[in-house]
Amino acid sequence: MPDTSTLQQERNSIYHDLFNNKIPKRVPVNIGLPFEPIAQYGGGDLLSAQWNPALVEEAADRVCQILFSDSCPFGGSLRYPSFYQTLESQSFVMSSNGFIQHPEVVAMLPEDYDYLIEKPYDCLLERVLPRQYKALNSDEPFNMAINLAKSLLCYQNDNMQAGQIIVKLKEKYGYYSGADRRSGGFTEAPFDFLADQLRGFKEISMDVRRRPEKVAEACEALYPIVFKKGMPASVDNNAAVFLPLHMPTFMREKDFEKLWWPSFKRMIDEYASMGIHCQLFCEDNWTRYLDYLYELPTDTRLMFEYGDPKLIKEKLGKKHIITGLYPVTMLKTNTKEQCLDKATEMLDVLAPGGKYYFGLDKNPLTINDIKFENLCAVTEYIRDNGIYSNAGETAGLAFNKDDYKVDPSASRKFESKYYRTWEDYKTLNPKVSDLGESKLQGFEELIFQYLIFLLL
Amino acid sequence: MIDLKEVTQAVGDLDENKLMEILNDFISGNPTEEEAIKVVNACQNGMAVVGELFEKEEYFIGDLIFSGELLMEAINILKPLIGSSSSDKVGSIVLGTVHGDIHDIGKNIFKSMSEAAGFEVYDLGIDQPVSAFVEKIKEVNPNIIGLSGVLTLALESMKETIDEIKGAGLRENVKIIIGGNPVTKDACIYVGADAFTTNAAEGVKICQGWVK
Repeated sequence: MPDTSTLQQERNSIYHDLFNNKIPKRVPVNIGLPFEPIAQYGGGDLLSAQWNPALVEEAADRVCQILFSDSCPFGGSLRYPSFYQTLESQSFVMSSNGFIQHPEVVAMLPEDYDYLIEKPYDCLLERVLPRQYKALNSDEPFNMAINLAKSLLCYQNDNMQAGQIIVKLKEKYGYYSGADRRSGGFTEAPFDFLADQLRGFKEISMDVRRRPEKVAEACEALYPIVFKKGMPASVDNNAAVFLPLHMPTFMREKDFEKLWWPSFKRMIDEYASMGIHCQLFCEDNWTRYLDYLYELPTDTRLMFEYGDPKLIKEKLGKKHIITGLYPVTMLKTNTKEQCLDKATEMLDVLAPGGKYYFGLDKNPLTINDIKFENLCAVTEYIRDNGIYSNAGETAGLAFNKDDYKVDPSASRKFESKYYRTWEDYKTLNPKVSDLGESKLQGFEELIFQYLIFLLL
Repeated sequence: MIDLKEVTQAVGDLDENKLMEILNDFISGNPTEEEAIKVVNACQNGMAVVGELFEKEEYFIGDLIFSGELLMEAINILKPLIGSSSSDKVGSIVLGTVHGDIHDIGKNIFKSMSEAAGFEVYDLGIDQPVSAFVEKIKEVNPNIIGLSGVLTLALESMKETIDEIKGAGLRENVKIIIGGNPVTKDACIYVGADAFTTNAAEGVKICQGWVK
């Protein structure tokens, strides 16, 4: 058994090879379990852990002891109840089993389109957020200010607690150390942002037929906001901006082509022109859109849920980095032997030529969603059998940021009376040292990031 | 005189403007109840066309949602003419999203399509405890139970629900279909359902097969 630091070096090297078009020594095994199954592991109480993320450390440590993964299996949670409940969220609520979920909500009305198109950020803050978060009630300005401050502090507190556990586990078990946290990001495609929490699934499906021009204009209006939301603070070839892709498979191709794709494609190209990679979760089955995905910048990381692995590898495998596709439900409903057969099939189809790392088609949401021993058997199998004989060779196409040019005038600029630039600040406060810029603008950005996160 | 084929086609084409124009013309001519029922049937036939186009992958979920809305609009226009008489139901379904899961888009699509196909649907709603299904089955004695769920955790809840239905001695009298993103053949066997589908139109066909 290699010592932890040797193991970590090996893991860092296989991930770096993966992200830099080289064949790695072996297929990286990337399992990130959500907060809930880890909290439940060994009988922990989910509700307590959600309110005090530090409580999961022991359970997370035990998971690390028995589950093989090259990346840290514990990644904290995006959705702690503290900040959502403080803000009286309508869009993230707890179901009867203590699991936070996103019900169908409508926070933007058809008559809001014109204002959204005219002043998108103002519309989000003045109209959408207060409908989505009842504690942001402008009739009670002081309570509103207190609630917002309290929720942001909850958000920071809970993420810090989970973050400390991740740092410890990475060190203790020698997991892939990952890129600098500031070089990653999280956002959505403009259309998905409009669909998910602004209009809702049902209403956006109506809008696509009833007012497609408004939908297209709204995507353009939201572009600078979602682009800025995902924008990392620093650029690193091993990092990525994560975007779950939601609506395309529910749409007709002609609607997708006209309304969903153009602003999304420009966004990914614009990131690429800056040397920034994206990691996309292609939810559902993207088979009919594979040719579109091919057009994305080289080395886009694509996580698939459903689809034919062979076809996906054939069409995209030389250009993009593929993961996912291993059916998580099998881990519950099938025998260990059947699960391992599936793992063999995945390796045979997806590993040749590199640009592949092992992952499940989606995360198990609770501990009962899988048989843990099946998951362990599968990841160990990939570790032992996903070995390359041609490590170090070039893997497919290489990424070059100069291949991507985006006309800056093609997109609207981000501006709002609710976002003060340093220049604005200096005009109002001429007696200010420029040493204040990084601090004040850092917090301005932090508030922006948090407010938009609340709508993701 | 209204052209019923045109009504069916407007629904099938999801042509909202045309359908509303035809229906508004129709009601302004003071039609009889019998005529109005024929128009409702023509709309329902249009929904079947939508289902077929969905299976052919010409329409997608977004279109099914729109079709449900369109049908509801049409029925709302025609309802005052039909009064209290209702057509015979082909069967009954107790439907709900199982406990732990709060998603309902798929369930609602299935509901509107099965209602359009002539089923009486008792929709319990989302995140429904096992007892809610058992109570409703005792109350309305349905032909079919539809269990819906989007999350992987829904499978366990489906199993618990079906186990409890068995425990209450109600399993023999009903067919059970599960629907939603995580369901597969293996999952269907695991939870003890009679059928599974990830496709609302197919689900309706399965149910129609059961009540023939």
